[in-house]
Amino acid sequence: MKSVVKFAITLGLIAAITGFALAIVYQITKPIIEAQDLKALQQGLSEIFPGDYEFVKLDKPISSGDPSVQITESYLVKDKSTQKNVGMVARVVVPGSQAPIEMLVGIKSDGTVSGVKILKLNETAGLGANADNPKYYVDKKNKITFLGQFIGKNVEKDKLIPKEDIIAMSGATITSRAVSTGVKVAGQAIVSYLKEAGQ
Amino acid sequence: MKKKLDIIWNAIIPNNPVLIISIGLCSTIAVSNSVQSALLMTFAFAMVQIPSNIIVSAMRKIIPNEIRVPIFVTVIAAFTTIAALISQAYFNAVYQIIKLYILLVVVNCIIIGRAEAFAYQNGIFDSFLDGVGNTIGYGLVLLTIAVVRELIGKGALAGIQILPDSYQPMLLMVLPPSGFIMIGILTGAIETYLRKKGGKK
Repeated sequence: MKSVVKFAITLGLIAAITGFALAIVYQITKPIIEAQDLKALQQGLSEIFPGDYEFVKLDKPISSGDPSVQITESYLVKDKSTQKNVGMVARVVVPGSQAPIEMLVGIKSDGTVSGVKILKLNETAGLGANADNPKYYVDKKNKITFLGQFIGKNVEKDKLIPKEDIIAMSGATITSRAVSTGVKVAGQAIVSYLKEAGQ
Repeated sequence: MKKKLDIIWNAIIPNNPVLIISIGLCSTIAVSNSVQSALLMTFAFAMVQIPSNIIVSAMRKIIPNEIRVPIFVTVIAAFTTIAALISQAYFNAVYQIIKLYILLVVVNCIIIGRAEAFAYQNGIFDSFLDGVGNTIGYGLVLLTIAVVRELIGKGALAGIQILPDSYQPMLLMVLPPSGFIMIGILTGAIETYLRKKGGKK
């Protein structure tokens, strides 16, 4: 009985000391990590909608209507001079082949894709990880990247299905399908939201 | 002094954790397909292996034998989380690629193996040297394999294109089987070296 108490105290003490050390490191690194996430988000938004636009975050993200595609944040894109909505950006999480893929999907008011930017990707190096590789071209002749091919496609009129109207990355069918589904589902959710809101 | 240097040398060649003892193979194969990943993994490994060895050695007289393993795991888990937070804050781009493996350092058999087999039985300075030696031994294996795999598999080194655009990358090299092939080749080379030196039969 005595030894059990001694073991418990020793373990508890060591857990408390390590916990304290972790808390200190967490406090130091937290603002740096948050600042990086924010920078990546702002950079992504301005890459998707380049120009003089303002991004207004909605209090409640729009609903995707597909349980496999999660929309965690949504931003209305307003023209700074006219204050008119020109489109919307959704922060989307889809299941990849290794881990969830997080990306920004930008859709113009007419339903065309203005851009797709990957924020977090943990797919196989050399295969699915090529999704956001700026030097990996699915169309070598025209130098079009995997994400680049979505620009200009219409989420209502185009199928956005790999091996049909989307060129899949070689050896990464699951990643290609995941990104395409994310763009399609989030895109349709954005279009129906904008229509309902009368934009 | 020679004895101290032997501790480091033993961990690098005669008792290399990956090539001779054959532990830590999972992480070796997972992160050795790019030089950047190999370097960050070595950094994360050092951030956990060296301080864990020091702490375990410093506390070895007060750690009861019966509960030594949960204490090792608590200490290793704390340093792993610290390494993950620091990597995320300062090397975010590479961290995003290999975060899963950094977090898995907590169950890396090399670290718990050295805590159990060396640090728990030796002094603080010797345990520090053992941590350094194992980091060098593990890091050298990672880096050697990563250079070959990235160069042949992607035509690049540390993300910089080395081979001309006309080079057709060999996809097998970025996939796990090539990791096993490389470990086999390196183990063969190191065993041959040790046998020639007469240390092994």
